[in-house]
Amino acid sequence: MTCDDVRDLAAGFVLDALEPDEMAAVREHLATCADPHAEIAELASAVPVLAASVPVVEPPAALGARIRAAAAADLAERDAPAPPVAVATAAVAPPASEVVPLPTGQEREQRAAARRGPGVGTWLMGIAAVLAITVLGGWNLLLQSQLSSAQAYEDAVAEVLDVAAQPGSLTALLTAEGGGPTGLAAVDSSGALTMAMQALPPTSGAEVYEAWVIAADGVPVALGGFQVDASGTGTLASTGLPTEPGIVLALTREPAPGATAPAGPVVASGAATPAGAG
Amino acid sequence: MSETTRPLPLRVVTVADDADRAVLERVAAGELDALDELYDRYKTMAYSIAYRITNDATLAEDVVQDAFLGAWRNAARYVHGRGSVKTWLLSIVHHRAIDAVRRRRPTTELPDIEVVPPPQLRMPDVWSEVSASLDADTVRGALAALSDVQREALELAYFGGLTQVEISERTATPLGTVKSRMRLGLLAMRAALTAADPDAGADT
Repeated sequence: MTCDDVRDLAAGFVLDALEPDEMAAVREHLATCADPHAEIAELASAVPVLAASVPVVEPPAALGARIRAAAAADLAERDAPAPPVAVATAAVAPPASEVVPLPTGQEREQRAAARRGPGVGTWLMGIAAVLAITVLGGWNLLLQSQLSSAQAYEDAVAEVLDVAAQPGSLTALLTAEGGGPTGLAAVDSSGALTMAMQALPPTSGAEVYEAWVIAADGVPVALGGFQVDASGTGTLASTGLPTEPGIVLALTREPAPGATAPAGPVVASGAATPAGAG
Repeated sequence: MSETTRPLPLRVVTVADDADRAVLERVAAGELDALDELYDRYKTMAYSIAYRITNDATLAEDVVQDAFLGAWRNAARYVHGRGSVKTWLLSIVHHRAIDAVRRRRPTTELPDIEVVPPPQLRMPDVWSEVSASLDADTVRGALAALSDVQREALELAYFGGLTQVEISERTATPLGTVKSRMRLGLLAMRAALTAADPDAGADT
């Protein structure tokens, strides 16, 4: 989508009157475009007039109590499982001490074998399933090229596909403009992210690749960082993501871990959509 | 349930915004009382918008409940954002309501995607920016700046939940014409707001 396309769709965008794929494409463009697209803000500033023009209708008195009860139930559920905030970072670079190393070759092989099962490729079936349910252009080619890449990346992709196969999951294809690093990510219905990236230029020193999620409010939220060795492969797990279709995942290269706002260039990005839709 | 035609009370925003943020921080921390406060503050506006769009009391209640639960779940993430709480909350309400009517509409081939609010990335805080001037006269004046076809296009989109393509089909109007009606309509309302309150449209 070009800047001109966005300008053409701007009025529909601020009124939420675009087709779903157009909405996602505009959102993704705005998240990464250098142009501030002031026309969006200009048009959006008139929208509250429409909202303010509606007749006043008071909600039923019981609604507040119902919402509170639902929130209390949600709170109880939230407290039960693991931490609600973004945590984990994982890295492929084995020598990096501050990050969780990937499994050793032997562990990887065991896990891969467990996944493959006796003889047959469960993993390949997973890929076939995703291929069958996705209509994203270019997946087929991309997955074929991924299949021929390093074992570490294959394993990482397999984990993403495991998540993607769960009901209610979102999947995103991360790409760079004009080629370069690519990857897959899946967000399960609890907001847990699994990401696998390949063809990343290796990091040096304190440099990290930082992942971001950009949701409805348009504010990039850091998901964690990882370092990359000569293999060019990187993986990340995180939690606490919004589970709304259309969220944008982006990867930037940052001079040091812990960035709270992206400073480096966007390396790859993509919008997350339900696996079965499109 | 009482229904009147007075416009919604939007004048309070500028002062209320810091208070909103404080409440939202408590919502983010999981305080149910804070959620009650947020609800009390915006329930009338939220429900009025939801009811106008769905024209169905039960559906409007579900929309408002979903919207506040969505706010409850996402407050922690939003606290770090920059836009106003009101903009965020009411945009959630609007989008959920639109989503509800789109799902209800049997003829629409809508993919099974939940509509999410547009980002405020690089969007100024639309409510704070204009709401100081959004009294009844200003709202009426801004709406009066619309031509009939502009008003029709904007209402079909904002309240009817129709996409530009659907509006084009429904009104037998070329898509390009629908797009420019919506765009020019929004610009006409903005111009009326700016004329009513020169500070409102300032970019600073």
